[in-house]
Amino acid sequence: MTTPISVDRVVVHRGAQDVLSEVSLSINAAEVVAILGPSGSGKSTLLRVVLGLLAPDRGLVKLNGELVSAEGRILRPVEERGLAVVFQDLALWPHLTVRGNLAFGLSAKHVPSDERSERISRVLQRVGLQGKEGRYPANLSGGERQRVAIARALVLEPRALLLDEPLSNLDAPLKRELLALLGEILHERRMTAVYVTHDLREAMRLAHRCAVLEGGRISQAGTVDQLLANPASAFVRALREDVQATTAR
Amino acid sequence: MGRHLSATLKRAEEPLALGLVGVMLIVAALLPFVFLVVGLVRAPAELSAGIALLGSREPWVVFLRAVASAFVVALASLLIGIPLGVLLAWTDVRGRKTALILHAFPMFLPPFLLALGWFFLFGKSGLWGSEQSSGALFSVGGSVAVEALVFAPVVTSLVALALQGIDPSLVEAARVAARPGRVATRILLPLAWPAAALGGLVVFALSLSELGVPMFLRVRAYTAVVFARLSAVQYAPGEALVLTLPMLIVSLALLAIERRVIGPRSFAVLGLRLGEATVLPLGNWRSLGTIVAWAGALATLVPLVGLAWRARTGIAALQDWIGSGLQNSIVPAAIAATLLTGIAVVLGRAIALRRPGAAALDALTVLAFVTPAAVLGVGLIGAWNRPATQSIYGTLAIIVIGFVARYAVLPTRTFAIAVAHASPHLEESARVQGAWFFRRLLRIVVPLHGRAITAAWLLAFVFCLRDLETTILFYPAGSAPLTVRIITLEANGPEPVVAALALVHVFVVASVLVVGALALRPRKPA
Repeated sequence: MTTPISVDRVVVHRGAQDVLSEVSLSINAAEVVAILGPSGSGKSTLLRVVLGLLAPDRGLVKLNGELVSAEGRILRPVEERGLAVVFQDLALWPHLTVRGNLAFGLSAKHVPSDERSERISRVLQRVGLQGKEGRYPANLSGGERQRVAIARALVLEPRALLLDEPLSNLDAPLKRELLALLGEILHERRMTAVYVTHDLREAMRLAHRCAVLEGGRISQAGTVDQLLANPASAFVRALREDVQATTAR
Repeated sequence: MGRHLSATLKRAEEPLALGLVGVMLIVAALLPFVFLVVGLVRAPAELSAGIALLGSREPWVVFLRAVASAFVVALASLLIGIPLGVLLAWTDVRGRKTALILHAFPMFLPPFLLALGWFFLFGKSGLWGSEQSSGALFSVGGSVAVEALVFAPVVTSLVALALQGIDPSLVEAARVAARPGRVATRILLPLAWPAAALGGLVVFALSLSELGVPMFLRVRAYTAVVFARLSAVQYAPGEALVLTLPMLIVSLALLAIERRVIGPRSFAVLGLRLGEATVLPLGNWRSLGTIVAWAGALATLVPLVGLAWRARTGIAALQDWIGSGLQNSIVPAAIAATLLTGIAVVLGRAIALRRPGAAALDALTVLAFVTPAAVLGVGLIGAWNRPATQSIYGTLAIIVIGFVARYAVLPTRTFAIAVAHASPHLEESARVQGAWFFRRLLRIVVPLHGRAITAAWLLAFVFCLRDLETTILFYPAGSAPLTVRIITLEANGPEPVVAALALVHVFVVASVLVVGALALRPRKPA
């Protein structure tokens, strides 16, 4: 069961500066939305607000219609939101094996041990890591670590998956391979997802819709085709030129 | 109803844990300050006697001399510690790691043990002693020199730690365009200055608190003036209380400097980065650099030669003199270190993650550390020396409370720095996965920072072991720790036995540090 997400006029201050300024965004159930934007535009902050790691100074956040954050308060703490996240640095726990990394959240949610093992095996097989349960993150390749991070998020069967530039450190072939895998999984599970990136090509492969965040405000939203057809800012024009140059090559 | 209560409790786990730590610190460290003030207000006669005393010139002369002396000690420690830190951490001098370890060792010993060592070398009947050398040692200059050599490793170690944490690429980029000397003065030192400044502040606070060295070298110190009013001969606790006020003002000034200038910056530079740093090649100067670095490093160890020489004939009689001193040192130090490590894990993490209330508790731990032990000791006596609390004041528990109050900042900052340098996403991922505070703490935070926890425990344990100036004011009858036993025996006991007892202390500390170093060895990933 995946969940719609709604962000309504969210404001986040850092000192005197607005990191997010009146940001509103609705994501339907089973929809994948890419948040695009240059560095420092507030993409990760928006993700932290949705996750419940940061309270918005103003504005509302709803999950499946339930108000979870409002006006400087977190009403439903991050531990109870049932979401999952893949951070840019993956944040795999180095002292736990692959199985340990996947089992952690299940044991926190008191999933019985039989079911835990079964879910871990199933998800590891899905991401192509069967037989690597006993390895530590330090003994895995970059691509394998990425798969563990995705598996760790999926094994919880979350209400929505949030991804914060998870593929930005990978080479192009590996990125393509993992984008394809992610796309398949999100489609299979009909999972609501928010995918933060500054690369329009990644958004093209995964997202149903895009929102462009610049200077803490949403400057443009729509499908990838709509963005390419009518770029509303220099940033989106640059993204379009980048995509066109890649296509021409 | 039950589920609702359980969910509420889980949500409150983190504030409850921080609250519990806060209560422990308030009881141990803030209560003494409160009782200082209450004690003054409730005893107007003693207050006026104390104020009259402060109205005279004598205590102010001693106080200003103590502040000036602590300032000179801090300055000398910086002059020794900064160049040594650079040489031992960032250049290719031979055996630099060993030299740094040997140089740092005396900082974990009670300073007066090293003063004893210098006395056995340069006192009138010392190994290399004469009338003149003894005169020089038993003077203000001698006391300052001994303290500077004892405390310089604090600066060296902090500077070295900060330099080892610097990203090598920053230095490599500078080396392309500049000579090593310029890189050191224009890149390395500016990056490491918060650590050096923190070192200077810590040395100033330690020197101002120091009781053993000036007492032994017969130099009139302000802490000794306060201490004298708590002894049987000149017992006047009210006067002691009033005399602590100028020191309290200095402590508040140190706290303000730490808060505003040094603290936040030192967090950024004091990393616990593993792996080999690139070093600045000294070229033709390498041999000279090696000689200078090793001479500076070994200078702090020289007094141990004096102790060993004098102890030759005292070791046989050790059993008759040591009593329960060792046990009285180790047991409260171990209990306090364990408590302090628990506090450090909760509070250090909260400080690194800027949780509400953490900054105030951090300030309290800094204040308790920079406040001269005499002030804290007088406050602890005022708070706990009453009929209802004799089960605490009359036992080793009061020593544990004193240690918790005085040394909480050391393990807490060690752990806070480790957490601040790790990715916040490691714990945030666990939160998103549904793990509440205690599960995260035990399953993620503690295993991730096992080395920092070991280091925090060791640091707390060794500093509690070396303590003299806090415990000497209120140790329970018959429970004198080894440091107190040595300094009381020094006045009228046989010198070889005093030296042998000092060597026992050195051996215990060295053993703890060796075990700690083995435990902290970097391991290859599994």
